[in-house]
Amino acid sequence: MNLITEAAKALRDIGKGMAVVSRAAEKGKHTNLYPFEMPEIPPVSCQSLALIIEADGTDRCVSCLACEKVCPSQVITIERTRNPEGKGFVLERFDIDLVNCMYCAACVEACPVSAIVTIQDFELSTYDLQTLKADKAFLDEQGRRAKQWYSPKLGVEYRNEQGEIQVAPLEQQPGGEAELLKQADKESDN
Amino acid sequence: MALSSDKRSQLKRIPIPEDRHFKPQLVGYNPKTPNRLAEVLAHSLLYFVFVGLLLLIYGVLPWLFKLPGSPLASGGSFTTTGAVLYGILAAVLSFLVAAVAALILILVLRKYLGLVQNRYGPMHNGPAGAFQTIADAVKMVAKEDFVPGKADALVFTLAPLMVFVSAFLLLTIIPFAPGWVLANLNVGLLFIVAAGTIGAYGVLVGGWSINNKFGLLGGLRAAAQLVSYEIPLSISLLTVAVWVGSLNLMDIVEAQKLWWTAIPLLISAAVYLIASLAEIKMTPFDLPEAESELVAGFNTEYSGMRFGFFFVAEFAELFLLPAIAVVLFFGGYYQPLAGFWDFADVLRGLGAEGSTLNQFGGLLASAYGMLWFLLKTALLSYLVIWVRATLPRFRDDQLMELCWKVLIPLSLIGLAVAVILRLVFK
Amino acid sequence: MSIPAALMTGPTVLEPVVGKTDEMIVNLGPQHPATHGVLQIVLGVDGERVTRAVPHIGFLHRNHEKIEESRSYAQVIPYLDRMDYVSGLQNELPYCLAVEDLAGLEVPERAKYIRTAMFEFNRIISHLVWVGTYMLDLGAITPFLYAFRDREMALDIIERTTGGRMLPNYFTFGGVRRDVHPKFWQDLLDFLDYFEKVVPEYETLTVDAPVFQARSVGVGLLSQELAVNHGISGPNLRASGVAHDLRKDQPYDAYPELDFSVITRDEGDVWARSKVRMDEIYQSIDLIRQCAELAPRSGPYLARGRVKIEAGEQRYRAAEISRGQLGVYIHSDGGTGPYRSKHRSPSFVNLQIIPDLFIGQKFSDVIAILGSIDIVLGEVDR
Repeated sequence: MNLITEAAKALRDIGKGMAVVSRAAEKGKHTNLYPFEMPEIPPVSCQSLALIIEADGTDRCVSCLACEKVCPSQVITIERTRNPEGKGFVLERFDIDLVNCMYCAACVEACPVSAIVTIQDFELSTYDLQTLKADKAFLDEQGRRAKQWYSPKLGVEYRNEQGEIQVAPLEQQPGGEAELLKQADKESDN
Repeated sequence: MALSSDKRSQLKRIPIPEDRHFKPQLVGYNPKTPNRLAEVLAHSLLYFVFVGLLLLIYGVLPWLFKLPGSPLASGGSFTTTGAVLYGILAAVLSFLVAAVAALILILVLRKYLGLVQNRYGPMHNGPAGAFQTIADAVKMVAKEDFVPGKADALVFTLAPLMVFVSAFLLLTIIPFAPGWVLANLNVGLLFIVAAGTIGAYGVLVGGWSINNKFGLLGGLRAAAQLVSYEIPLSISLLTVAVWVGSLNLMDIVEAQKLWWTAIPLLISAAVYLIASLAEIKMTPFDLPEAESELVAGFNTEYSGMRFGFFFVAEFAELFLLPAIAVVLFFGGYYQPLAGFWDFADVLRGLGAEGSTLNQFGGLLASAYGMLWFLLKTALLSYLVIWVRATLPRFRDDQLMELCWKVLIPLSLIGLAVAVILRLVFK
Repeated sequence: MSIPAALMTGPTVLEPVVGKTDEMIVNLGPQHPATHGVLQIVLGVDGERVTRAVPHIGFLHRNHEKIEESRSYAQVIPYLDRMDYVSGLQNELPYCLAVEDLAGLEVPERAKYIRTAMFEFNRIISHLVWVGTYMLDLGAITPFLYAFRDREMALDIIERTTGGRMLPNYFTFGGVRRDVHPKFWQDLLDFLDYFEKVVPEYETLTVDAPVFQARSVGVGLLSQELAVNHGISGPNLRASGVAHDLRKDQPYDAYPELDFSVITRDEGDVWARSKVRMDEIYQSIDLIRQCAELAPRSGPYLARGRVKIEAGEQRYRAAEISRGQLGVYIHSDGGTGPYRSKHRSPSFVNLQIIPDLFIGQKFSDVIAILGSIDIVLGEVDR
């Protein structure tokens, strides 16, 4: 008798499993048909690096070497010369070896002027790895092409239709909730 | 810190090409989200259309040969030429039926797995991926005919053929519709056992011949599994013979016009279904292949067409063993409760006796029976696929335990039940 | 249990023993579907029965500890993600704890809760990978796709805050690298509401399924004594009846404020290890809910400060990651980076029981046991 109840229980449990499997179809599909459907990647996501040029055409980068010093993989190479006409430096060369880069975004954390930023362009596959030894032209191009990017100093920024750079609203920024709460507190105090 | 600038400037520098990013070709992409359930059903329809069409040709062939004025038949039986021609055509057709059923079942399996696993399954080749298995078959045929250096070349070549031939030999004796059977053997049940066993040899020697340790383990597992599960399978076949009193499959189907054999012989039917799962070598009984344990088991070193033979044979069995189950236990080509009222009889009654309409009605009645047969077979095949999607696999000793300690005693009980019922009711 | 002679000498090639029945030497890996990476186990099998087992590791060795000696303290963190790549966030914590202790940084309250919630969330993700791959080892493909379906959703939530999916580089000394996404807590709670309904489905397909129970109950028995002697940790230890959990025993971050109990089972077999992990998923759901309730919504997320560690200072800190006890030992020589850095990785230690558990088992059980130990080769080889 015991054997029969055990067998019945086993069959019932197998049936339950089969029911779970057949019901799972209701949960819909979860596959993105890449490359036909592009995934929506959040602005803080670090898929690649770019250098940002302001709307008036000047580099944000001030050649301070902070990113080169902080890089754990040591893939950033910067060459600079003193600016003969005044303060600061002239950027001669800004290379990132994107092959060996591990996209930890430490350079982005270190940058004092939000010149180097993380972007969401993940399609870096190439037939020739040498194309991933990015120079400044490459990084500038990535920056021009990017719709939105993130850097800790300025937060999420995006380029509007006129080509101007704007900071995203607090609702999209990391830490936006805390900022909004602070503002709400101030208003309630007033 | 970083690479010295000298070394850096020596690197070959290539400007960013404009088309650095992969530009997808939007071929075969439907921006609408497909209804995956509808796709599975549509592919099942393919199964009915194509297998049904082939079976229809199969059934109409002798009728065509025997048309009045045909040079291939005289007085209701074939001439020598006709018999030879019919033999060749029927062999080709049965091969086609097995292969086409297998290909479509592979497609349905993939789409069904996609449905229950929250993904798409094949979708780019043809409408909803309908040509995917054809593309795979072409790929396999186009591959290099390769024999590993240390393999036993002769056995290596023969093994997939043995498995495949054993699978589609079974097709020759299955009655798809009233009168539609290639070989109406009086020892049909024995033939099932005989033809099915050849496949076990194929798997065993295939696994052994490739001179690979995983292959050897897989082959031995297959031998143990297939030979053991032949026993409950054969005993359940025997119960049907005892109950019906005939080894002829046509007689067995005719005896089920009113009640399916599965109703008195429920135990045997259940044993047959479980044992046939093991014979098909599908999860939870896929130990011979066990891809997470034995890499690919007996077909580790097989590639190209030879692997294709193993693969197609497995899915042909997914069609054939349920088909045999339908013939033996689930009323074959009869609609349920055909003893009370059968639509086929209505079709047969069309027109006057002997008229063309009457003959055509007879054909229609056969086609109607064939549809029921296909429907039942498909439902059983889908059950197997459903089980495959759910269960993990057994261990080898548990597999043997299930066979020798559960299924064989059960099948013997089923046999006793059949004998008693036969004595009481017939 | 004596150590097999083969293990003592460690030959790569075993010589088959010829006797009544011939022994066959099978190389399980390094390229094998069930070794979860590049582990090689040289098995002597007599038919289906395993007679000897010699694991070989090091195929994924990337010299992490030595690299860390030439990096500054902050530069080490992204390397830690790459040890146990399935639970990358969890790897960063013990190192951060050790450096915080040495540098005297006080972690703000809010950062503690963020770190704890992320830590537990990563445990769910890690256990989901285990469910999926383990069922794949046992021959069921469907749970694998369910697990990865839900893992993708969870990774999306992590990505919205940290910027990375598997290698987030998020925790840092004195808190977390950046503030959370505005909808972070809400996303977490929404996901947990959905996920809580799905976990019973996993249980139906795994620990409650008859075929799974047939494969797992009584298989790969790991006695309490053996587990303790080998230094096993994590769910493997707790499944053998030892209530040892660093979250309780040496609480860190927000764990002292959270209400939970250590999950143990006494069976010590494959099924118990699976059940413990399943229960830990429920426990993590509960812990994240508590974090979401208790966490302050505003306030500092990072205590900024200079990491300056005196020469000769050293520290060992450990945390209970999803695979067990991950410890980090740092020795400073007063420079910018660690003079010596050593990781006590749980998978590496858990792997030591392989010869003890494998010998005498069936070939299929070997796969089941190996999967139930839940190793990640990135962390074994480092």
